[in-house]
Amino acid sequence: MFQSGLLPVIAVLLTLYFAVVVFSYLGVRRIRRGALEKDREAKRRLYELAILKEVADRTGYSLNIQKVLDVIVGSLNQFLEYSAVSYMLLSPSKIVFKADLERSVSSQFIKDIRTRMLSALSALLGRDLAGIEVEETITGAITLEDIDEPVRSYFNIPLVIGAELVGVLTVSHTKEGLYKESEMEILYKVVNQASQAVTKLEEVVKTEQGKVAAMVESMIEGVVMTDIDYRIIATNPAAKEIIGKKEGAPTIFDFIDAFKGALDIRGKLEEAIKLDKVLTIDEIFFNNKYYKIVVSPVRSSVGLTRGQILGGVVIFHDITHEKEAEKMRSDFTSMMVHELRSPLGNIKKIGEMMRSSKILEDKQASSEYVSMLYESSSSMLNLVNDLLDVARLEAGKFDIDKQSMDIRTLLAEQVKFFEATAQGAGINLKLLVGEKMPNYVMADAKRITQVAGNLLSNALNYTPKGGAVTALCFVHKKGMILGDEAAAIGAPWVRDNMPSTAEIPDSIVVAVTDTGEGLAKEQIDKLFNKFTQFASSVRQSDHKGTGLGLVIVKGIVESHGGTVGVGSKAGTGSTFYFTLPL
Amino acid sequence: MSKKILIIDDDKIFSKILRDGLVAGGQGKYEVATAFDGEEGFLVAEREKPNLIMLDMMMPKVTGIEFLRKLRGEEWGKDTPVIVETQLSDLEKMSEGVELGVRGYIIKSDYSLDTILRQVEDILK
Repeated sequence: MFQSGLLPVIAVLLTLYFAVVVFSYLGVRRIRRGALEKDREAKRRLYELAILKEVADRTGYSLNIQKVLDVIVGSLNQFLEYSAVSYMLLSPSKIVFKADLERSVSSQFIKDIRTRMLSALSALLGRDLAGIEVEETITGAITLEDIDEPVRSYFNIPLVIGAELVGVLTVSHTKEGLYKESEMEILYKVVNQASQAVTKLEEVVKTEQGKVAAMVESMIEGVVMTDIDYRIIATNPAAKEIIGKKEGAPTIFDFIDAFKGALDIRGKLEEAIKLDKVLTIDEIFFNNKYYKIVVSPVRSSVGLTRGQILGGVVIFHDITHEKEAEKMRSDFTSMMVHELRSPLGNIKKIGEMMRSSKILEDKQASSEYVSMLYESSSSMLNLVNDLLDVARLEAGKFDIDKQSMDIRTLLAEQVKFFEATAQGAGINLKLLVGEKMPNYVMADAKRITQVAGNLLSNALNYTPKGGAVTALCFVHKKGMILGDEAAAIGAPWVRDNMPSTAEIPDSIVVAVTDTGEGLAKEQIDKLFNKFTQFASSVRQSDHKGTGLGLVIVKGIVESHGGTVGVGSKAGTGSTFYFTLPL
Repeated sequence: MSKKILIIDDDKIFSKILRDGLVAGGQGKYEVATAFDGEEGFLVAEREKPNLIMLDMMMPKVTGIEFLRKLRGEEWGKDTPVIVETQLSDLEKMSEGVELGVRGYIIKSDYSLDTILRQVEDILK
């Protein structure tokens, strides 16, 4: 009874036990399966991260998609199962085909994927690739001809760099039914990331290259860059102009030939590259120009080639201008010395004559010698004063002491001062003053006297006998033409070669018009340059003065906020004017 | 008979000192004329046919070298002795002058009348 009563209980317990076992087994399995799934997912994520990081790192160093692909190919087996992973890359001259065998396959297998990839590439490009040479590299496991297993699974990923198809990446297997689209997501991601990185880098490089190219293009200096075999990689328009090659890309021989006799360009490049040092050729004279030339090795500063010498660069600096300026300065100095030494030499000689000969007994002769002494020392003093003024102007230490003064009185006094000289030279000198002149203007009377005196004495110096010199002053209104305003007071005005005067603000205008020899345009341009002025004044030494006067005039007037200007016509005469702003 | 010397120089003071010096130093042996530029100098030389020309190299209008070339082109002037007046710094530019038969030079900033007199005397002997 007890036993019979126990059986169903046992049965129930057993059933329960089984149920528990079964359930727990199923539960564990489910949990385990879930754990495995998670594990795989985590692994995949980790792998994804690792490979993405590796791709990012590698692409950071290399712009070479092939290197990036090698990284991907080399680490793909951690994630995917395949017999072979391969890529095919298009380059301008050939197709690179590389297959990495995870396990041995037959050569027919490789041939097969190669054909498939080629036709995929051809289809994607819409181009027949039959004629192009394919460079094949097989790595990994060896090929075994007795394995007779065809390609049963196959997956292609197009490689796109900067919106351009450059190749395909393929995984293939002898097993069937692999590589469903959903499983390939990671591969897409990886390849995409690599492509994007390379694309971005290429853009950066292109932009940088563009910047550099634009800079080199616009450089005044001629630039020629060669590779290590002295083949020209880049030249700019300035370089082409130096050798006078207008069309086409110059070769290194164009430069070697052009500079034959003046500079051994090839030799210098070789020296710079071989000895790895920057060479400077301070001065060569070529085609009527002076050049300073720098030849330097070019080192790579980025990527895997960092520090490596890539070639050489030749930079041509046109120093003709500097040389001319230098010559001008040295001419200026030697002329200045000459101008100072001549009167000084004369003074010494006069002293000698007066001491040794009997000149002092002859009253007329001795008075002649005394006036010669006076003349020589005055001309020296004038020169020294002018030089000092120019030096002060250049140093910006030209002090202007503005006081209220009457410009009409100042001009009248100056004209009176030169009257005797004018009369002696047979020149008609007069002063014309416009209406509504202000009674007082703020200016440095002493300096303005110097300016007016300079303009008047120049005019008298350059005007022949029978000519006329007219000093004039009037009030200028902005927008009016000075020549018209002068005409309104009946004063002569030479407009030729005079730049527009309409923009001059309301001012007092003081001018001197002469009927002298006049100036050509080129001469006018040089008037206010101390070097050219001095040189021409020495050549024209029948006219007194250092030639620095106008340079000083300009400095004084500009210190007052005014402007100076000239109108002149050779054979007719000149008008020199200056303004004092109101 | 006195010898004729022509001084061509735009520096009037130098010309005068030189002339006075030559006249006084030559004690009547020299007759000295002056001209103040190359153009005038050539006219005077053509008219007077001097026995010696003292020529400034740096002058307006016609420079010393231009004057010399012109002078040597003339039958009457091809053998006229010439002493040039120059600056020390311009001495290197004198090679053409030497080719044109210049007989001597005076450094303008550092001349001595005695030396010039001796030079002139030598040439005019």
